[in-house]
Amino acid sequence: MAASNIWAALPGKPPLRRCARGPAGGRDHKTEEPFSTDQSGNPAGRNCLAFLPPGGTSGCSATGAGATDSLQVPGRNPRVPVTYCWGTLASRPLPREPRLLRSHHPCPWHYLHVSSYEDSLAPTCFRAHLHRRGRGSTPNMASAMTDRNPRAAEASGTYTYTSRPRAVACQRRRYRDSILQPVEESMNYGNIMYDRRVIRGNTYALPTGQVPGQPDPLELQQQQQARRRALARKRAQQQLRPRTPEPVEGRKHVDVQTELYLEEIADRIVEIDMECQTDAFLDRPPTPLFIPAKTGKDVATQILEGELFDFDLEVKPMLEVLVGKTIEQALLEVMEEEELANLRASQYAYEEIRNVELAEVQRLEEQERRHREEKERRKRQQWEIVHKQNETSQKISARAFAQRYLADLLPSVFDSLRNSGYFYDPIERDIEVGFLPWLLNEVEKTMEHSMVGRTVLDMLIREVVERRINDYESKEAAQPAQRSDDVPNDPNTVPDPSGSNLFQSQASATPSGRFSSSLRNHWLTFNGGRRLKT
Amino acid sequence: MPLPDTMFCAQQIHIPPELPDILKQFTKAAIRTQPADVLQWSAGYFSALSRGDPLPVKDRIEMPVATQKTDTGLTQGLLKVLHKQCSHKQYVELADLEKKWKNLCLPVEKFRAIVDLDPSEDKMEWIKFLALGCSSLGGTLNTAMKNVCEILTSDPEGGPARIPFETFAYIYQYLSALDPEFSAVETETYLANLRDTSESRKNGMIGLSDFVIGKKPV
Repeated sequence: MAASNIWAALPGKPPLRRCARGPAGGRDHKTEEPFSTDQSGNPAGRNCLAFLPPGGTSGCSATGAGATDSLQVPGRNPRVPVTYCWGTLASRPLPREPRLLRSHHPCPWHYLHVSSYEDSLAPTCFRAHLHRRGRGSTPNMASAMTDRNPRAAEASGTYTYTSRPRAVACQRRRYRDSILQPVEESMNYGNIMYDRRVIRGNTYALPTGQVPGQPDPLELQQQQQARRRALARKRAQQQLRPRTPEPVEGRKHVDVQTELYLEEIADRIVEIDMECQTDAFLDRPPTPLFIPAKTGKDVATQILEGELFDFDLEVKPMLEVLVGKTIEQALLEVMEEEELANLRASQYAYEEIRNVELAEVQRLEEQERRHREEKERRKRQQWEIVHKQNETSQKISARAFAQRYLADLLPSVFDSLRNSGYFYDPIERDIEVGFLPWLLNEVEKTMEHSMVGRTVLDMLIREVVERRINDYESKEAAQPAQRSDDVPNDPNTVPDPSGSNLFQSQASATPSGRFSSSLRNHWLTFNGGRRLKT
Repeated sequence: MPLPDTMFCAQQIHIPPELPDILKQFTKAAIRTQPADVLQWSAGYFSALSRGDPLPVKDRIEMPVATQKTDTGLTQGLLKVLHKQCSHKQYVELADLEKKWKNLCLPVEKFRAIVDLDPSEDKMEWIKFLALGCSSLGGTLNTAMKNVCEILTSDPEGGPARIPFETFAYIYQYLSALDPEFSAVETETYLANLRDTSESRKNGMIGLSDFVIGKKPV
């Protein structure tokens, strides 16, 4: 720590250094690497430094109790201060710096083992480191919980890391907490080998995880219990801690700085300032044309006109080109035009043939159409003839049938009509309706007249007879002796005593009644006969 | 810097800029026309070019040029060239026509033979000369009429080659009158038949298919 402070106090030199802190279990090795500003240093060498097992590997055992804290992954990038390193990397995609994740452990077994799983271990290692660094002097319970409970994070499907925002732990303490108890970070490391997220062995036999989003209730309960237990333990520790005795009355405890406030920096580097100054730039004049130095001798020759240039000779290639090119081009063009003209001519010829054929086709079509129409017309005619024939025969048969059917009908209708009295003789009917009743009336009148006459005659006769009887009896009474034998033989008195008596009594009572009764009898007989007749 | 009078190198030779084009057109025309005597034909070509007349150039290259060596050398293409050059006026001067004939490297004897068929003074109706030339190409009257049609038509090459029926009838009558084998009655009936078809269907134009196929069914 002291060395760290010294470095920090150096002016102009940032504390570019790492302090790889070992686990708490006595292996307090420090690999200090003062980082030089020289950027061209060998990074491999720098990294190699980190993997060097420290001198004392005491207490390292893969199964030891201290091995739970055995993996420490400090910031591996030597160019960056440690605090800065973890602060930024938390928000950075994890696999970007695989070198960060190398384990720094004294035990070679661990080192080898973990480094072989470097890729798969990457998130876990990194996270473990983050928690450890972040906890510092005040262990964060929540982050510890997430550290201890990988299953909870695993249950949600994807790996997520959440941490409460907190202040950056101060590198340098302002004061000592307690002299008696040296500051000891509660290193609550978890063995990464027992981390459930670390898959050991064959990944094919991977157990299928729980349904994401539904944490195991048993697990939740266990978590709560563990949390409660940890709280209780912490409280008990606080109570059991030996404290300074209570201050005397009127005083109070005050934290006092007992050590020196300032430290002398011994190894001061002597600095010397040196200066150098270049000249100001001047405008550079253009480079003069390079003219090589003249060598050799000048010699002259006179050339007369026409000696060098012969027009006929010189013009020949040009003419060749001209004529050759012209002929070639002309030939090409003629061929091309001929071809095009041929094409066009054959097109026209084809079109002509096609037109002729089209006309022929049209003619044939027209002929065919006419034939078809003719056929249709004939067919229709024939059809009409057949139809008409059918109709005629049907009519004829219907007529014959109707005739036969109606032959019986007419007499029967006349019969029934005659029976029901629709046909009658007008004279006969007149006689029946008009004449006969009149005749009957007349007959009746005549009969009545004769009856009245007869009744009147009867009455006359009866009166006459009675008078004669009376006369005769009176005479008889005058001669009773003589005439006593003659009485039973009297024809008027003997026949039908009862009827005659009745008739006599009635006649004697009311002559008109006698008359009416006889008249009624007559009527009855008359009416009865008539009724029968009608 | 003024150009020196003396020439020192080939780069100083100046070529007129229109020379290559003229040369090329001339070469093309020569290739296409294939004249027997290039020099004579060239004289005719350049004189026509300088005067602005129609050039004695065939429209299409004619592959069967063997007739130029064995026969008279007159072909349909050459007749077409002549027609192009002379058709702008109804009557042509025989001297002028002979000059053009010579420019096409055709033998003068042939020209005389053609002119002798219908002797006239110094002028001749161009259409008659054309008809005579066509008949001298060989073949029957029908082939001659076919050639006439192909030369006179304004349809594109390979097309139906239609010409007005009046022209056709005129040439046909002229040629058949020269031929003693054809009677006037036959000619009249034939033409009447053709007139009916052409007037009813093709608004007065007569094409190759109207009389060639009738004679020679494919």
